[in-house]
Amino acid sequence: MTGFDHLLGGFAVALSWKGLLYCFIGCLWGTVVGVLPGLGPLAGMTLLLPLTFGLDPTIGIIMLTGIFYGAMYGGSTTSILVRIPGEAASVVTCIDGYEMARQGRAGPALMIAALGSFVGGTFSILGLMFIVPPLAKVMIAIGPSVEVVLILLALGVISVVSAGSRIKTATMVALGLALGTVGLDKLAGVARFTFGHAGLTGGLSFAALAIGLFGLSEILLNLERSEKIKAIAPKLKDLVPRWKDLRDSAPAVGRASVIGFVFGVIPGVSHVVSTFVSYALEKRLSRHPEEFGKGAIAGVAGPETANNAVTGTAMIPLLALGIPSIPATAILLSALTIHGVQPGPLLLTEHPEVFWGLVASMYIGNVILLILNLPLVGIFVNLLRIPYTQLVPIILIVSIIGVYSVNFSSIDIWIMVLSGVAGYVLRKFGYEMAPLLLAFVLGDRLEDNFRLALTMSGGSYATFADNTAIIVLVCALGLLMAVQIAAWVLGYRKSPADEA
Amino acid sequence: MSERSVHGQPDRRADAGTRQLPRAFSDRRGAMIVAGVLASVGAFLAWQASMLDLGDVHLPGPGFFPLLLGVVLVISGALIGINRWRLPEGDAVELGHRDVLIAIAALLAVPIVFEPLGAYVTLGLLGTVMLVLIARIRFPLAIVAAAAGMAVCWVFFQQLLGLRLPTGYLGAGLW
Repeated sequence: MTGFDHLLGGFAVALSWKGLLYCFIGCLWGTVVGVLPGLGPLAGMTLLLPLTFGLDPTIGIIMLTGIFYGAMYGGSTTSILVRIPGEAASVVTCIDGYEMARQGRAGPALMIAALGSFVGGTFSILGLMFIVPPLAKVMIAIGPSVEVVLILLALGVISVVSAGSRIKTATMVALGLALGTVGLDKLAGVARFTFGHAGLTGGLSFAALAIGLFGLSEILLNLERSEKIKAIAPKLKDLVPRWKDLRDSAPAVGRASVIGFVFGVIPGVSHVVSTFVSYALEKRLSRHPEEFGKGAIAGVAGPETANNAVTGTAMIPLLALGIPSIPATAILLSALTIHGVQPGPLLLTEHPEVFWGLVASMYIGNVILLILNLPLVGIFVNLLRIPYTQLVPIILIVSIIGVYSVNFSSIDIWIMVLSGVAGYVLRKFGYEMAPLLLAFVLGDRLEDNFRLALTMSGGSYATFADNTAIIVLVCALGLLMAVQIAAWVLGYRKSPADEA
Repeated sequence: MSERSVHGQPDRRADAGTRQLPRAFSDRRGAMIVAGVLASVGAFLAWQASMLDLGDVHLPGPGFFPLLLGVVLVISGALIGINRWRLPEGDAVELGHRDVLIAIAALLAVPIVFEPLGAYVTLGLLGTVMLVLIARIRFPLAIVAAAAGMAVCWVFFQQLLGLRLPTGYLGAGLW
């Protein structure tokens, strides 16, 4: 079968009533969590993760991915209309989007954001479609030693690009790897750190840890915020942008699609970084940079396109290598693993319907979001009128049921609550949760492959330098670590506050 | 235009008095305590790992990797603590907000009573407590809302998704 035949097969899955229904649910829920402050794509995905257990893996992954890119769309709505970024990737949109809304131009801002998101999202799906199959063919021959170096490289890059202090990020990586060692050691068959609890033999529940670290800690942080903001009543009579708006935003959309596409493969916080880079580039290239911050349409089009262009390419490391580069794709990895589908080079040969179904659903999802976000924008904004304190019990109850239903064990509720409290305290002191979660997901594979590689080579570390590809990767890793250590020794800091 | 809190709700907390103000902690002391806890976790991990088969550098055993990570956590925790100790005092960190403490206390009770009382009773109680103490909804209304919420959960999770949640000692004979 050719790639085109597979794509047609993918569309057959995505256009089935189940595929369409769950894609719609994912997009709708994603938009809702994107709109609501404090509920980003991660919390949204982890909350619905347990609901996918009873579904076909392709349908489950279609729904979860819909939440991911739906949240990117939804985040722009509140950024523009009420100057509240629904999630981190929409922070930059607040600057010019809200200014446009204040000038009575909320409609064009929303329309351009939606169109930019559509173009960026579609561009990245094309990239995903054309890059993953050949990359997977190359990666299919890799052994455990290459996988070890790749995982270390991914964790190293996360430490570098992470927004907070380097040493704190490295500590979170170590803690995540340590938490990943809980449970049965697959190679020796020895239980580690289970303290006699049978419920811990399978390791700490990913869903419990993810909901605790991201969802619960975010809820606790939000409960203590009470700063006042000014809400603008949206005027959406004129959604159609002027010709000048389209002309001014078209180059920004084009450039941001490429920026988001390139940044998407970088592990860590690519969706956030890409928006800042896009905004800075548009300001620099603009003939009227003074308009930025005062309602420049390119300041909305660029970041919104970039954060959606990331969604497709962020999945390339997951689908081709089996290595999640951002927490959202770690959740997808977890969902697939629970269904017995291992993302990575063999995904395309063993489960082509999952990959092509996902690709096709992303095309459809982008159209659904375009239709959903413009006419229904008023309804989504009205969600903000529900007091957050009344939403909290609903979110908590759904989270607890979801977490419990994974293993039907109260231990998982303990893990969720304790990791939520720990996440809340750690975030208060500037520690980031994303590196911890990514390290937790990758930890057992790192250890298993490390020990397997040494066992296969008779204990020789030369296995980590036995071909050109791995030597290049090891050199990149060494360079990365050397730069980090040098920066730390020489006292270079991203900012004094960060390092504190 | 209207004045709203960050979550889009009217800010009713302003006149609630100092009772709701978060408790301010020294950033320096707090950061050092957190670093100390992380180092202690590392030390505990290393101690527990040392009781497992460590193998050797060429053929690591099940205790090798956790021991290594434990040592890394001890060192990084110590470095963060020392680094923070050398820097001057920063802005106070606010911990102990009333609503946060209530939420944590209520959540800590959930896993204790979840199986004995049953999922729906436990979560109904959690919802009531949160609605009364955090959302400040009148008690009778909160009970009705929680009961309605649990009925919706029962229909959705138990009937539609077929999820068998624990019914507890009380519900054992009823369900």
